[in-house]
Amino acid sequence: MTTPNPRRVDKPGLLIALALLVLAGLIWQDMSSLQLSSVYGLGPKAMPMVVSIGLAILAVGNAVSAFRGELPERESLRWTPILLIIGGLALLIAFVEFNVGFIPATAVLFACTSAAFGRRAFIIDLVIGLVAGLVIYLLFAKLLTLSLPMGPLERLIGA
Amino acid sequence: MESFFALAHGVTVALQPMNLLFALVGVLLGTAVGVLPGIGPALTVALLLPITFKLDPGGSIIMFAGIYYGGMYGGSTTAILINTPGESASMATALEGNKMAKAGRGGPALATSAIGSFVAGTIATLGLAFLAPTLVELAVQFGPEDYFALMCVAFVTVSATFGDSPVRGLTSLFVGLALGLVGIDKLTGQARLTFGVPELLDGVEVTTLAVGLFAVGEALYVASRRHIQEEVLEPVRGSLWMTKEDWKRSWKPWLRGTLFGFPIGALPAGGAEIPTFLSYSAEKRLTKYPEEFGKGAIEGVAGPEAANNASAAGTLVPLLALGLPTSATAAMMLAGFQQYGLNPGPLLFAERPELVWGLIASLFIANTMLLVLNLPLVGLWVKLLAIPQPWLYAGILVFATMGTIAAKPSVVELTMLGVFGVLGFLMRRFDYPIAPVVVGLILGPIAEAQLRRALSISLGDPMILLQSPISATLLGIAVIALILPFMLKGLNRFKMQED
Amino acid sequence: MSHYRKGLWRGMLAAAAVAGFVTTASAQMAELKIMAPAAPGGGWDQTARSMQQALTQSGLVKSVQVTNVPGAGGSIGIAQFVNGAKGAGDQLMVMGYVMVGALLTNKSPVTLDQTTPIARLTGEYEAIVVPANSPIKNAKDLAAAVKADPAKVTWAGGSAGGVDHIAAALFAKAVGADPTKINYIPFSGGGESLAAILGGKVTAGIAGYGEFESQIKAGKLRLIGLTTPAGKGTAEMPSLKDQGVDLEIANWRAVVAPPGITAEQKKALSDTIDKLVKSKEWQEILQQKGWDDAYQSGDAFAKFLTDDQVRTKEVLTSVGLVKS
Repeated sequence: MTTPNPRRVDKPGLLIALALLVLAGLIWQDMSSLQLSSVYGLGPKAMPMVVSIGLAILAVGNAVSAFRGELPERESLRWTPILLIIGGLALLIAFVEFNVGFIPATAVLFACTSAAFGRRAFIIDLVIGLVAGLVIYLLFAKLLTLSLPMGPLERLIGA
Repeated sequence: MESFFALAHGVTVALQPMNLLFALVGVLLGTAVGVLPGIGPALTVALLLPITFKLDPGGSIIMFAGIYYGGMYGGSTTAILINTPGESASMATALEGNKMAKAGRGGPALATSAIGSFVAGTIATLGLAFLAPTLVELAVQFGPEDYFALMCVAFVTVSATFGDSPVRGLTSLFVGLALGLVGIDKLTGQARLTFGVPELLDGVEVTTLAVGLFAVGEALYVASRRHIQEEVLEPVRGSLWMTKEDWKRSWKPWLRGTLFGFPIGALPAGGAEIPTFLSYSAEKRLTKYPEEFGKGAIEGVAGPEAANNASAAGTLVPLLALGLPTSATAAMMLAGFQQYGLNPGPLLFAERPELVWGLIASLFIANTMLLVLNLPLVGLWVKLLAIPQPWLYAGILVFATMGTIAAKPSVVELTMLGVFGVLGFLMRRFDYPIAPVVVGLILGPIAEAQLRRALSISLGDPMILLQSPISATLLGIAVIALILPFMLKGLNRFKMQED
Repeated sequence: MSHYRKGLWRGMLAAAAVAGFVTTASAQMAELKIMAPAAPGGGWDQTARSMQQALTQSGLVKSVQVTNVPGAGGSIGIAQFVNGAKGAGDQLMVMGYVMVGALLTNKSPVTLDQTTPIARLTGEYEAIVVPANSPIKNAKDLAAAVKADPAKVTWAGGSAGGVDHIAAALFAKAVGADPTKINYIPFSGGGESLAAILGGKVTAGIAGYGEFESQIKAGKLRLIGLTTPAGKGTAEMPSLKDQGVDLEIANWRAVVAPPGITAEQKKALSDTIDKLVKSKEWQEILQQKGWDDAYQSGDAFAKFLTDDQVRTKEVLTSVGLVKS
């Protein structure tokens, strides 16, 4: 792999190394708070130790390649689509949490993702999402009697 | 010979029009739920139990068999087409299968998966019919130390999914191992890395991680770079059907996959994931086209798919021969048997032969039915890729979240899905391989639990790992598999110097 | 808290007393929601769905809805039930002995004391088995082995802190060995532990009788004893108590109602369950599933629930799974 500028330190690469180190520390700290041990053989602390030490070593490894600038090159990226999709997911989660219901939650996610991929027909997509959500809901809640999140709309169908 | 007559009789039972209908309903339902991540055959059978209660035992068990095999097909269809493994065992299929689909070779990928599943399912069902009693004797000889050794073999072969940087591959693997620590420690009942969140006590769900990393992560990644490279999906480029070349490259992986899948599936703690990984890495090592791996090599679809289906039949070995339910679906089928006062186990073959052979025969029929139904549908399935990109990805996300909501309707689970999605996006951006994370999550906890069980039995003496002949052999294989590539490299260098 | 509960029991005593006489007068319930604090397919889910089936078929309740809230041995389900269904007279939650232990080992902030006990429905006794070729022939042999060196007797059973684990610890205690020294190996899922026993990887196995039944009948496993009350054993199904090991335990399943419901609501629920248990439909299900009827309601059940929680905490503390 050829890198155009091998001397340049890769900052995001260093951040990754740091994140791995934090994760290693977190696992170590959690491990040392375990109170019970196995009576015979290996206790519950062995595996976290191995993972934590491994992650710490890998953090160093990643840091070294970041310093050498060995990470592959990255293209520019746009944040709007990412935020749209994550926003759609967040709305879905909120809808489930606050009992708005499964069907509207599905519709919103559908429309947001579709917008993230460049469509400009939010309302139409919302309607498509609603219909899709409705079909899925009927299929699962009615046919397989799965308990999906209920909102006003779902109760209306259920009644 | 006796078995042959019994099987022939079983076929006549299964071929009755009513039973054929049950098998059809079963495979259709199974395929439908198999495509949904998070909802597998186990859940479907569980939900259908009260409904099928009124049917006659033969019919409903035949239907369950259809659901079981159908679920396997459905899971790989979505793995190939939209990079969303419907279940953890389809993950290996997604690796190469989705690359093929994006290159316009979705047709051959689906075909090799369907035919491979059929071939493997048929061979494995034959194995079930004739080898079950022998195989099960061997399977129960597998102790915790032997499972640990098997995990070691699996860990060594994971490197096949690492890509070109060992540091980044290992980083991915260890992130997966870290995720595997989350939850209640199986041997002492203590919570590890749960931070007081009760939903984390059961650990990270493999499907949530896989769907988050694969499907959500991919959607984020593709959306973020649409302005650079508009992803143009051509549903069909070249032949829709498998070419002669494809056949030539597929048949050996099918057979090898079956050889991995059936015996490991028959092990009480074997599972379906490990044989698919083993098959994937075996194909990667054996292929004549190593440069195609990672870009859509047909062997990488044919092998794991065969392994997946063969292991499904393997799981039925301990269920029918011993009454041991070794997977969630098998446990549900056991409940289905018990609903009719039937107890699978050593006595079932003797007491109700018509049922056992009817079930085995219906597995053949379900398998054939799936092939007949799925092959003509290949053309239709790949048309899915022609859906305008915004709708395709919106649909994928709806799919991904719906599976999670239906299986575990909790905000914590959905949040994890989102977090794993972002992780998958970042890993793609910084070129970390994704599969090792899922592999680590699956293998880590099993390896840990089995090693600790072994050491508890031996009162802490590690020699138990070498005293068991099975374990010693497997560990030997693992060591060879670890060293061999380096030795070959050294040998090559040596040869080059010679020249 | 305890004051509140005492009041509750008194109310329940009254309710139970009345329930025996006034049965036909109370009308059919329109709607009932049953929560199974587990994924579809497990024992609690099967209990909930069987109740649904029997309640609707017998016409006791017009519409029954089962919801699944899986996770952590029921810890998540009970938290949602206690907080979300407070005061709802048309909701029930299936639970069982496993939850008692799980709430303790998971350090759950919600406890069973916060629910309104309705009735115990089913029970299953634990069975101790050894491989057919084991030198251990009966409970006395096993007791001697455990007493000689508890480390050398390996037990295969279900999850840590579960009913199997508790029973193994109680066995050690009953024969005068140190319960903290038992070599108990938890397996995930019945199939895996059964395989370990059949393969002779462990000394003994412990689980509900149903999991071993067909292997015992096929002669692949030897039944050492059941945790049944004294005098209840037979030649094929020997009781541990009759063999001199003082160990009695059952893995039961029960239903509880949300906290804060009125005495009338509780009575209505208790009545419905009482009629359910006596219905032909329910009895048929018990037979098909091989569940033992362990019906107990009202006061007696509330006391049973409290007692079992105390005992379980004691055992789990003595094994070292719960720090007191």
